[in-house]
Amino acid sequence: MTSIIDAFLDAKIIKVLIKYYPVYLEGIWGTLWISAVTILLGTLLGMVIALMRMSKVKPFQWFSTMYIEIIRGTPTLLQLYFAWLGLPKILPFEVSDTFCVVVGFIISAAAYIAEIIRAGIGAVDKGQWEAAKSIGLSNVHTMTHVILPQAVKNILPALCNEFISTIKGTSLASTFFISELLTSYKIVQSATFLAIPALTISGIIYFILNFIMSKLLRILERRLMVSD
Amino acid sequence: MTDVILRTENLKKNFGKLEVLKGISTSVTQGEVVSIIGPSGGGKSTFLRCLNLLEEPTEGKVYFKGQDITDKKLNICEYRQKIGMVFQNFNVFPNMTVLENITLAPTLEKKIPKAEAEEEAMTLLRRVGLEEKAREYPRKLSGGQKQRLAIVRALAMHPEVMLFDEPTSALDPEMVKEVLSVIEDLTRSGMTILIVTHEMGFAREVSNRVLFIANGVITEEGTPEQIFISPRHPATAKFLSMVL
Repeated sequence: MTSIIDAFLDAKIIKVLIKYYPVYLEGIWGTLWISAVTILLGTLLGMVIALMRMSKVKPFQWFSTMYIEIIRGTPTLLQLYFAWLGLPKILPFEVSDTFCVVVGFIISAAAYIAEIIRAGIGAVDKGQWEAAKSIGLSNVHTMTHVILPQAVKNILPALCNEFISTIKGTSLASTFFISELLTSYKIVQSATFLAIPALTISGIIYFILNFIMSKLLRILERRLMVSD
Repeated sequence: MTDVILRTENLKKNFGKLEVLKGISTSVTQGEVVSIIGPSGGGKSTFLRCLNLLEEPTEGKVYFKGQDITDKKLNICEYRQKIGMVFQNFNVFPNMTVLENITLAPTLEKKIPKAEAEEEAMTLLRRVGLEEKAREYPRKLSGGQKQRLAIVRALAMHPEVMLFDEPTSALDPEMVKEVLSVIEDLTRSGMTILIVTHEMGFAREVSNRVLFIANGVITEEGTPEQIFISPRHPATAKFLSMVL
C-alpha cells in the first residue's frame, strides 16, 4: 500500500520538477542572496548595536536596549510588514518591495546577532579584563587583542545557528511574493494545483541548503578552535 | 619622607551597602616590602585593588609619588603601567603564546620595537626559568609556570611598584615554592612590593613591614617580629594562632 502511494507521489514530484525546475532555481538564488546579504549586513549592524549596548554612553545604551527588546518582542513577519509599508514612505527615493523586505530582515537579524556578540564578550573571564588593565593596556587594545579573540570562540557556535535560522527565515519573504524558495512553491502550486509535490520540492531544497551550511560552519568552527 | 612612593589617606570602599574598607591610611616607601595579612573578607584584596584603580575608591585619596591618582584628569592607563599586579588566578592571556603575553603591552603601549621587546622578554623568562616555554600557549603550562609568566608579564612594563594578590593561593602545594622564590628574588632587587598572602612564613621572612587588615581597617602594623612574635592586638593574636 505505502509503496503504491510513494510511487504515485514520486511520479508527480518528478513531473513537476522537470517542468518547473527554472522556477525553483530562481527560488534557490533568491533564498541564497537574501540570506547572504542579511547575514553580512546583519552581523555588521549587530556589532554596532552590541558595542552601543556595552558602551558607557547612556543614550547609546538606551537606544540599543530598546532596539533589541522591540525586535525580540515582536514577530519577524510584523517587522517585515513595517519595513515594507514604512520604508517607501520615509525614504526620499523609489524603493522596491525586495529592498524593503531585505532591509527588514537585516534590522531583525542585527538584534539577535547583537545579543549573541554581547553574550560572547560577557562570557570572557573578568580576570582577563583586569589583567589587561593592570598592565596598562588601553580600552581599545584590551578589546582588540585580549577580549575579542577569546569572545569569538564563544560567539561562533551561536552565530552559526543564527545563520541557519536566517536562511529558514527568508521564507517569510514569500508573503510579499519576493523571489525565493517558498515563493517558488506558490508559483508552481498555482500553476499546477499540485500543492504537496510542489511544497515537498521546496522543503527538500531548504533541507539540503541548511545541511550543507551547517556542515561548512562546523568545519570552520573546528578550524578556529585549533588555531589557539 | 621624600621617598614615599604610595600613600593612602582615609581610603574607603563600599560595595552597595557593604563597607569593605572603612578608612585606611598608610604609606609605602621606595624599595619597601609590605605584607598584608588578615582574615578572608577583611578587605586586603580590595585595598590592593584600589591602589591601581581596579576598584574605584568610594572615599579618600591614593597618592603615587605625591600625585593624586583618584584625580579624574589622570591618564589611568599610563599610571597602571607603573604599577604591576599579579593575581590569584594568574589571568594569563590564553590566546597568545608565552612570549606574546609578555611583549603585548610594551609593544602596544610603549611602542617598543618588537625585536627589542622579545629580547627583553627572553631575558626575563630566563630569570624565572621559562625560556623553553616561550613559544608555547599557556594551556600547556602548570599553575606555577603560569604564575611565573604573569609576574614576568608585569615586570616587562618596568613597574615601580608590584602588587601581589594572593599569588600562591590557587596553586598546588608543590608549586608554591617556585613562585615564592621568584617573588623573593624580586624583593632583593629593590622593587617596592605589596603582597597579600596567607604564606605567613614567607611574609615573615621577606617583608620589612606587615599590615594586619581586618574588618576594613588596619588593626595592627609593624615589623614581622612585632606582628608574628608579640602581636599587641587580640584580633591579630587570635588570627595568627589559627593560621600558624
